[in-house]
Amino acid sequence: MSASWLLAALYLTYVVAAAAGFIGRAIGASAQVFVEAVHLIAVTLGLALALAIGGHVLVDGNIFLNGGWFMADPLGCVFAGLVALVGFLAGLYSIGYVRHDVASGRVSRARVGTYYGFYHLFLLTMTLAATSNNIILMWVSIEGTTLSSAFLVGFYQDRPALEAAWKYVIICTVGVGFGLYGTVLVFSNATAAFADPASAILWTEIVKHAAQLDKSLVPIAFAFVLVGFGTKGGLFPMHVWLPDAHSQAPSPASALLSGALTADALLIVIRYIVIANGSIGPAIPQTLLTIFGILSIGVAAPVIFVERDIKRLLAYCTVENMGIIALALGLGGPLGITAALLHALNHGLAKTLMFCGAGNILIKYGTRDLDKVKGLMRLAPASGAVLIAGSLALGGAPPFACFVSEFTTVVAGVEAGYWWLMAIAVLLLAVVLSGFGRMIGGSLLGAAPAGMKSGDLGPLILVPLGLTLALVLLMGVYVPKPVRQVVAQATESVLHLPQAASDAGPGTRSALLWPDVLFPHPRAGRAASAPDGDKTAPRSGG
Amino acid sequence: MTGPTLVNTLATLLVVAALFVVLARKPAHAALLYSLQSLILVGAFVAIAYLFDVAPLYHWAATSFVTKTVLVPAILYFAFRRTEASGLPPPLLTPAATVALAAVVVVVATIAVRKVQLPLAADFKPVMVVSLSMIFLGLACIITERDILKQIFGYCLMENGSHLALALLGHDAPELVEIGIGSDAIFAVIALTFFATKIQGVVKSFDDRALMTLKD
Repeated sequence: MSASWLLAALYLTYVVAAAAGFIGRAIGASAQVFVEAVHLIAVTLGLALALAIGGHVLVDGNIFLNGGWFMADPLGCVFAGLVALVGFLAGLYSIGYVRHDVASGRVSRARVGTYYGFYHLFLLTMTLAATSNNIILMWVSIEGTTLSSAFLVGFYQDRPALEAAWKYVIICTVGVGFGLYGTVLVFSNATAAFADPASAILWTEIVKHAAQLDKSLVPIAFAFVLVGFGTKGGLFPMHVWLPDAHSQAPSPASALLSGALTADALLIVIRYIVIANGSIGPAIPQTLLTIFGILSIGVAAPVIFVERDIKRLLAYCTVENMGIIALALGLGGPLGITAALLHALNHGLAKTLMFCGAGNILIKYGTRDLDKVKGLMRLAPASGAVLIAGSLALGGAPPFACFVSEFTTVVAGVEAGYWWLMAIAVLLLAVVLSGFGRMIGGSLLGAAPAGMKSGDLGPLILVPLGLTLALVLLMGVYVPKPVRQVVAQATESVLHLPQAASDAGPGTRSALLWPDVLFPHPRAGRAASAPDGDKTAPRSGG
Repeated sequence: MTGPTLVNTLATLLVVAALFVVLARKPAHAALLYSLQSLILVGAFVAIAYLFDVAPLYHWAATSFVTKTVLVPAILYFAFRRTEASGLPPPLLTPAATVALAAVVVVVATIAVRKVQLPLAADFKPVMVVSLSMIFLGLACIITERDILKQIFGYCLMENGSHLALALLGHDAPELVEIGIGSDAIFAVIALTFFATKIQGVVKSFDDRALMTLKD
């Protein structure tokens, strides 16, 4: 039996849950428990299906649906899995958080359904973006993520939330408009160049025939794609929407925006890197990504040190981490690509932990101002411990997950000969770590404000955080074998470069080596995961 | 008039109409001018369909007529028909400066398109120039307008620019793709209109300088 049903079931799960949320909104306050139950089932089932899809892809190869328009390949599985995992963890946390918002009067019971409706619509569009093989649908899905999440950003409907939502929608729709132009240029180019124009809409087909694309048009298209989807990915200087949107959304929605969406947008950039590499070679894409990457880290690091609004601080940390991913992609080679993919996963988990942890601060202190938040460890020891661990994780300290991928990025840079660039990057990462150290010392440790009642938050809030922390720690000390395998296969599919060997520069020379320094080679005995090796080849066209 | 000349002429009209959309002060007028611009776009689709004998492009023209010429302008017109230009903030650029900026945009787009070697684009370089110009003209509208309603029109112009390029160079795309892009524009405009209306309700202004409370 074809495994396509797994992909269809994943989409359907989120569709049903979104519909249940909006139906719950129509019913009103009495539907809260129904909506929460459907939400809980959906995020759990979504994670189970994403894991099953990943397992199937590892063992039996890519899954295709609807004539190849939708595809689960190792690269897509990394990001669809990340979306499902962050969706599950932030989804669990959402129940306690939204109940608190209702209890405090910030949100009416009737609007709970709206939150969960858009939450699942957002998960659906992100999953579609990760699993689209049709390049126009990729764009439509990313645009869909903006429209579905904008209502989460503006959920509280007060002045700051509306302001943030407006900036988010206008900047991202414009940014993604650039992405559309790049997409159209590539599609048009492929239509004109390919013997079978009907196949020109499929990413797998474009990759196969990338060498036939117009070499004067591909750099223009790639620049549009990088600016367009890089806007959604939060890369400097297109990141301006991010601090506002992340700080105003409900904390679990901020976790989704930061932990899943930004990485999901960079996945589209990665897909176009593969096309550009096959057409014009890696020099232009790698140079652009390296510049965007180091600038993003450079701009965000000092702000992280001085910012006093915890959610804005975390938002700038997202810019920094997307910069690390872009830098790793720019360095290229197996180490660089592996580091980028691992960092997408690690950052997603760590940021889920911290945004939800920031939610605990908001519940406890009623403010995001770190100058007013003091002595959390004394007032709420479990929340405080989680936030300290999360801060260290995001700061890139061992033994947490981000250390592994940041270290790998630096090794990739050194191996590629970019000593000076890595020295700058390490210096900036040290600034970031010290910024988190300042937060730990100033707000999490020390004496609590007089008169504040001590006591931690309930299990509905703390259990999801504990689970997330365990995963952040696990990814730091032992990357599970299936994760290693899927990341390794995804790396190989990114390195499916017909011209890589001939165009090898400092960054791509290492592309011919496997990063044994990290993991043993996982693909012994398995057919290539690249499109040519697919067990179920897509039909061309729609 | 030969086929390519007709298409190129319609494209040139598109960029002129786009300039009028940017220059219009009253939102209702901008909506009507945008409708006119979209009608020219539909005309360009029909001309390209006839020229290349591409039947699906007639369907694109029909759906674009419904979405871009009727629905999107109608949403914007009815949402903001009572908003007077006098109640809106002035743009950063004077009309003369806007026209000069548009000229610069067209020159830059011409230089960018000069080297493109696509066979389909050989006789249609002006269309490529116009599509690229509309993207940047839309962006300029968003950056230079303080009125958030005009920023919505900037997005619409960008979207029309991409659509024109797709029709010329990618008319073999499955129809569902075109429907996806067209309906996405409607959803985007609905979302933008929703938030603009909410902002007006809370902030009592369409001036984007009033939206600075979150600045670092």
